[in-house]
Amino acid sequence: MALQAQGPVPRAAPELKIVEASGRTTMLSSYRGRVVLLAFISTQCVHCQRASGVFEQLAHEFGGRLQVAVVAFNEGGNAADFSRRFGLTFPVGMSTDETAHDFLGIGHGMRLGTPQVVVIDRSGVIRAQSERLGSPILQTHDYMLGLLKAVAR
Amino acid sequence: MIDHSLAISPAAAVVFHLKQGFWLYVWPMMIGFVTIIGYQTLSRISMMGTTKWPVVFGLGSLVSMMSLFGWMLMVRSAPMIPFYGCGFGLASAMMSRVYAVTMPVHPRLKLRIIRVIWRGDKQGIQRLQQALRARV
Repeated sequence: MALQAQGPVPRAAPELKIVEASGRTTMLSSYRGRVVLLAFISTQCVHCQRASGVFEQLAHEFGGRLQVAVVAFNEGGNAADFSRRFGLTFPVGMSTDETAHDFLGIGHGMRLGTPQVVVIDRSGVIRAQSERLGSPILQTHDYMLGLLKAVAR
Repeated sequence: MIDHSLAISPAAAVVFHLKQGFWLYVWPMMIGFVTIIGYQTLSRISMMGTTKWPVVFGLGSLVSMMSLFGWMLMVRSAPMIPFYGCGFGLASAMMSRVYAVTMPVHPRLKLRIIRVIWRGDKQGIQRLQQALRARV
Protein backbone atom coordinates (compact mmCIF):
# COMPACT_ATOMS: atom_id res chain seq x y z
CA MET A 1 0.00 0.00 0.00
CA ALA A 2 1.44 3.36 -1.01
CA LEU A 3 1.78 5.87 1.80
CA GLN A 4 -0.27 8.98 1.11
CA ALA A 5 1.53 12.07 2.44
CA GLN A 6 -1.66 14.12 2.39
CA GLY A 7 -5.14 14.10 0.95
CA PRO A 8 -5.38 14.52 -2.84
CA VAL A 9 -6.67 17.67 -4.55
CA PRO A 10 -9.43 17.95 -5.68
CA ARG A 11 -11.45 16.04 -3.11
CA ALA A 12 -14.64 16.61 -1.15
CA ALA A 13 -14.01 18.70 1.96
CA PRO A 14 -14.68 16.74 5.14
CA GLU A 15 -17.09 18.22 7.65
CA LEU A 16 -15.50 20.51 10.22
CA LYS A 17 -16.92 22.15 13.30
CA ILE A 18 -15.54 25.66 13.79
CA VAL A 19 -15.86 26.53 17.46
CA GLU A 20 -15.12 30.16 18.25
CA ALA A 21 -13.94 31.44 21.63
CA SER A 22 -17.42 32.91 22.23
CA GLY A 23 -18.83 29.39 22.02
CA ARG A 24 -20.45 30.04 18.65
CA THR A 25 -20.25 26.93 16.50
CA THR A 26 -20.39 26.87 12.72
CA MET A 27 -20.30 23.81 10.50
CA LEU A 28 -18.09 24.14 7.44
CA SER A 29 -20.89 22.71 5.30
CA SER A 30 -23.01 25.77 6.16
CA TYR A 31 -20.69 27.81 3.95
CA ARG A 32 -21.72 25.77 0.90
CA GLY A 33 -22.54 28.10 -2.02
CA ARG A 34 -19.60 30.40 -1.26
CA VAL A 35 -15.91 29.98 -1.92
CA VAL A 36 -14.20 29.18 1.38
CA LEU A 37 -10.69 30.12 2.38
CA LEU A 38 -9.89 28.02 5.41
CA ALA A 39 -6.57 28.05 7.22
CA PHE A 40 -5.25 25.95 10.05
CA ILE A 41 -2.91 28.13 12.05
CA SER A 42 -0.84 28.41 15.16
CA THR A 43 -1.58 31.63 17.02
CA GLN A 44 2.13 32.03 17.80
CA CYS A 45 3.34 31.55 14.22
CA VAL A 46 4.49 34.79 12.60
CA HIS A 47 3.61 33.57 9.11
CA CYS A 48 0.08 32.78 10.30
CA GLN A 49 -0.26 36.24 11.77
CA ARG A 50 0.89 37.85 8.54
CA ALA A 51 -1.25 35.54 6.39
CA SER A 52 -4.32 36.32 8.51
CA GLY A 53 -3.90 39.95 7.53
CA VAL A 54 -3.79 38.93 3.87
CA PHE A 55 -6.93 36.80 4.33
CA GLU A 56 -8.71 39.71 5.98
CA GLN A 57 -7.87 41.91 2.99
CA LEU A 58 -9.11 39.22 0.58
CA ALA A 59 -12.33 38.84 2.56
CA HIS A 60 -12.99 42.56 2.09
CA GLU A 61 -12.11 42.48 -1.60
CA PHE A 62 -14.41 39.55 -2.36
CA GLY A 63 -17.23 40.72 -0.14
CA GLY A 64 -19.96 38.14 0.37
CA ARG A 65 -18.63 35.79 -2.31
CA LEU A 66 -15.81 34.57 -0.08
CA GLN A 67 -16.00 33.07 3.39
CA VAL A 68 -12.76 33.14 5.32
CA ALA A 69 -12.27 31.13 8.49
CA VAL A 70 -9.17 30.21 10.40
CA VAL A 71 -8.79 27.45 12.93
CA ALA A 72 -6.02 27.56 15.52
CA PHE A 73 -4.83 24.12 16.55
CA ASN A 74 -1.87 24.93 18.76
CA GLU A 75 -2.13 23.97 22.41
CA GLY A 76 -3.00 26.92 24.62
CA GLY A 77 -3.75 29.17 21.64
CA ASN A 78 -6.20 31.95 22.36
CA ALA A 79 -8.47 32.49 19.34
CA ALA A 80 -10.25 35.53 20.78
CA ASP A 81 -6.99 37.28 21.60
CA PHE A 82 -5.58 36.43 18.15
CA SER A 83 -8.66 37.80 16.43
CA ARG A 84 -8.59 40.99 18.49
CA ARG A 85 -4.85 41.58 18.13
CA PHE A 86 -4.94 41.37 14.36
CA GLY A 87 -8.34 42.98 13.86
CA LEU A 88 -9.91 39.98 12.13
CA THR A 89 -13.56 40.09 11.22
CA PHE A 90 -13.91 36.47 10.08
CA PRO A 91 -14.46 33.47 12.41
CA VAL A 92 -11.40 32.28 14.30
CA GLY A 93 -12.00 28.86 15.79
CA MET A 94 -10.07 26.40 17.90
CA SER A 95 -9.49 22.74 17.28
CA THR A 96 -7.13 19.95 18.09
CA ASP A 97 -4.03 18.77 16.30
CA GLU A 98 -5.82 15.53 15.35
CA THR A 99 -8.76 17.39 13.80
CA ALA A 100 -6.40 19.46 11.64
CA HIS A 101 -4.49 16.35 10.51
CA ASP A 102 -7.73 14.50 9.73
CA PHE A 103 -9.15 17.40 7.71
CA LEU A 104 -5.94 17.82 5.73
CA GLY A 105 -5.66 14.08 5.12
CA ILE A 106 -2.29 13.92 6.85
CA GLY A 107 -1.31 11.12 9.20
CA HIS A 108 -1.39 11.89 12.93
CA GLY A 109 1.96 12.82 14.38
CA MET A 110 3.35 14.16 11.11
CA ARG A 111 4.75 17.66 11.40
CA LEU A 112 2.71 20.41 9.75
CA GLY A 113 4.04 23.71 8.45
CA THR A 114 1.65 26.52 9.30
CA PRO A 115 -0.47 28.08 8.03
CA GLN A 116 -2.13 25.21 6.22
CA VAL A 117 -4.31 26.95 3.66
CA VAL A 118 -7.26 25.25 2.01
CA VAL A 119 -9.48 26.68 -0.72
CA ILE A 120 -12.88 25.08 -1.10
CA ASP A 121 -15.20 25.81 -4.02
CA ARG A 122 -18.91 26.55 -3.87
CA SER A 123 -19.82 22.87 -4.09
CA GLY A 124 -17.63 21.89 -1.15
CA VAL A 125 -14.66 20.51 -3.09
CA ILE A 126 -11.10 21.27 -1.96
CA ARG A 127 -9.40 22.88 -4.98
CA ALA A 128 -6.13 23.94 -3.35
CA GLN A 129 -4.27 22.94 -0.24
CA SER A 130 -0.85 23.78 1.21
CA GLU A 131 1.90 21.20 1.04
CA ARG A 132 2.40 19.40 4.35
CA LEU A 133 5.32 21.65 5.35
CA GLY A 134 3.59 24.78 4.11
CA SER A 135 3.23 26.66 0.84
CA PRO A 136 4.33 30.30 1.11
CA ILE A 137 2.71 31.11 -2.24
CA LEU A 138 -0.71 30.43 -0.69
CA GLN A 139 -0.01 33.20 1.81
CA THR A 140 0.54 35.93 -0.77
CA HIS A 141 -2.20 38.35 -1.65
CA ASP A 142 -1.69 38.50 -5.42
CA TYR A 143 -1.51 34.76 -5.99
CA MET A 144 -4.46 34.07 -3.70
CA LEU A 145 -6.48 36.73 -5.50
CA GLY A 146 -5.94 34.94 -8.82
CA LEU A 147 -6.59 31.54 -7.29
CA LEU A 148 -9.80 32.60 -5.59
CA LYS A 149 -11.03 34.27 -8.77
CA ALA A 150 -10.37 31.06 -10.68
CA VAL A 151 -12.20 28.99 -8.06
CA ALA A 152 -15.12 31.43 -7.99
CA ARG A 153 -15.50 31.33 -11.79
CA MET B 1 -1.29 21.33 -4.18
CA ILE B 2 -3.55 23.10 -6.59
CA ASP B 3 -6.22 21.62 -8.80
CA HIS B 4 -4.60 21.74 -12.23
CA SER B 5 -7.93 22.28 -13.95
CA LEU B 6 -8.01 25.82 -12.49
CA ALA B 7 -7.00 28.55 -14.94
CA ILE B 8 -4.84 30.87 -12.84
CA SER B 9 -2.84 33.71 -14.36
CA PRO B 10 0.86 32.78 -14.07
CA ALA B 11 1.95 36.40 -13.49
CA ALA B 12 1.48 36.32 -9.70
CA ALA B 13 3.30 32.98 -9.44
CA VAL B 14 6.19 34.27 -11.55
CA VAL B 15 6.50 37.40 -9.41
CA PHE B 16 6.35 35.26 -6.25
CA HIS B 17 9.10 32.92 -7.47
CA LEU B 18 11.27 35.83 -8.61
CA LYS B 19 10.92 37.50 -5.21
CA GLN B 20 11.58 34.22 -3.42
CA GLY B 21 14.62 33.58 -5.63
CA PHE B 22 15.98 37.02 -4.80
CA TRP B 23 15.53 36.67 -1.02
CA LEU B 24 16.74 33.07 -0.85
CA TYR B 25 19.68 33.16 -3.28
CA VAL B 26 20.67 36.68 -4.34
CA TRP B 27 20.20 38.51 -1.03
CA PRO B 28 22.54 36.26 1.06
CA MET B 29 25.09 36.49 -1.76
CA MET B 30 24.86 40.29 -1.67
CA ILE B 31 25.26 40.33 2.12
CA GLY B 32 28.34 38.08 1.94
CA PHE B 33 29.76 40.21 -0.86
CA VAL B 34 29.19 43.54 0.88
CA THR B 35 30.57 42.17 4.17
CA ILE B 36 33.92 41.19 2.69
CA ILE B 37 34.14 44.34 0.60
CA GLY B 38 33.50 46.29 3.78
CA TYR B 39 36.11 44.45 5.85
CA GLN B 40 38.77 44.71 3.17
CA THR B 41 38.04 48.36 2.52
CA LEU B 42 38.16 49.02 6.26
CA SER B 43 41.49 47.27 6.70
CA ARG B 44 43.03 49.04 3.72
CA ILE B 45 41.74 52.47 4.74
CA SER B 46 42.72 52.05 8.37
CA MET B 47 46.21 50.77 7.44
CA MET B 48 46.85 53.85 5.32
CA GLY B 49 47.21 55.65 8.62
CA THR B 50 46.10 58.95 7.16
CA THR B 51 42.35 58.62 7.57
CA LYS B 52 40.69 60.41 10.48
CA TRP B 53 39.68 58.12 13.32
CA PRO B 54 35.92 58.92 13.19
CA VAL B 55 35.85 57.65 9.61
CA VAL B 56 37.60 54.41 10.59
CA PHE B 57 35.31 54.08 13.63
CA GLY B 58 32.15 54.66 11.58
CA LEU B 59 33.18 52.30 8.81
CA GLY B 60 34.28 49.63 11.30
CA SER B 61 30.96 49.83 13.13
CA LEU B 62 28.97 49.63 9.91
CA VAL B 63 30.92 46.67 8.58
CA SER B 64 30.63 44.78 11.84
CA MET B 65 26.86 45.39 11.87
CA MET B 66 26.61 44.13 8.31
CA SER B 67 28.58 41.02 9.20
CA LEU B 68 26.39 40.26 12.22
CA PHE B 69 23.27 40.87 10.15
CA GLY B 70 24.55 38.23 7.72
CA TRP B 71 25.15 35.80 10.57
CA MET B 72 21.66 36.41 11.89
CA LEU B 73 20.22 35.62 8.45
CA MET B 74 22.23 32.40 8.25
CA VAL B 75 21.05 31.29 11.68
CA ARG B 76 17.46 31.79 10.58
CA SER B 77 17.86 30.02 7.28
CA ALA B 78 20.72 27.53 6.95
CA PRO B 79 20.12 26.87 3.20
CA MET B 80 21.35 30.44 2.58
CA ILE B 81 24.84 29.55 3.83
CA PRO B 82 26.32 28.43 0.45
CA PHE B 83 25.05 31.61 -1.21
CA TYR B 84 26.47 33.79 1.56
CA GLY B 85 29.73 31.89 1.07
CA CYS B 86 29.63 32.49 -2.69
CA GLY B 87 29.21 36.22 -2.20
CA PHE B 88 32.03 36.18 0.35
CA GLY B 89 34.31 34.27 -2.06
CA LEU B 90 33.42 36.48 -5.00
CA ALA B 91 34.25 39.63 -3.05
CA SER B 92 37.52 38.10 -1.79
CA ALA B 93 38.51 37.23 -5.37
CA MET B 94 37.61 40.72 -6.53
CA MET B 95 39.46 42.42 -3.69
CA SER B 96 42.57 40.31 -4.37
CA ARG B 97 42.81 42.28 -7.62
CA VAL B 98 42.71 45.60 -5.76
CA TYR B 99 46.08 47.26 -5.06
CA ALA B 100 44.80 49.97 -2.74
CA VAL B 101 41.72 51.89 -1.72
CA THR B 102 42.23 55.61 -1.22
CA MET B 103 39.96 58.45 -0.23
CA PRO B 104 41.10 61.52 -2.13
CA VAL B 105 39.21 64.81 -1.83
CA HIS B 106 37.06 65.44 -4.90
CA PRO B 107 38.33 68.67 -6.55
CA ARG B 108 34.87 70.15 -7.17
CA LEU B 109 32.66 68.54 -4.51
CA LYS B 110 35.31 68.96 -1.79
CA LEU B 111 34.24 65.61 -0.38
CA ARG B 112 36.29 62.51 0.31
CA ILE B 113 35.38 59.78 -2.16
CA ILE B 114 36.48 56.16 -2.22
CA ARG B 115 38.89 55.46 -5.09
CA VAL B 116 39.99 51.94 -5.98
CA ILE B 117 43.42 51.36 -7.54
CA TRP B 118 43.47 48.01 -9.36
CA ARG B 119 46.58 45.84 -9.63
CA GLY B 120 46.51 46.27 -13.41
CA ASP B 121 46.51 50.08 -13.14
CA LYS B 122 50.28 50.65 -13.37
CA GLN B 123 49.98 54.44 -13.62
CA GLY B 124 47.62 54.61 -10.65
CA ILE B 125 50.02 52.51 -8.55
CA GLN B 126 52.95 54.71 -9.59
CA ARG B 127 51.02 57.87 -8.71
CA LEU B 128 50.07 56.45 -5.31
CA GLN B 129 53.65 55.41 -4.56
CA GLN B 130 54.92 58.87 -5.55
CA ALA B 131 52.32 60.51 -3.34
CA LEU B 132 53.29 58.29 -0.39
CA ARG B 133 57.00 58.95 -0.95
CA ALA B 134 56.35 62.68 -1.10
CA ARG B 135 54.50 62.44 2.22
CA VAL B 136 57.47 60.69 3.87
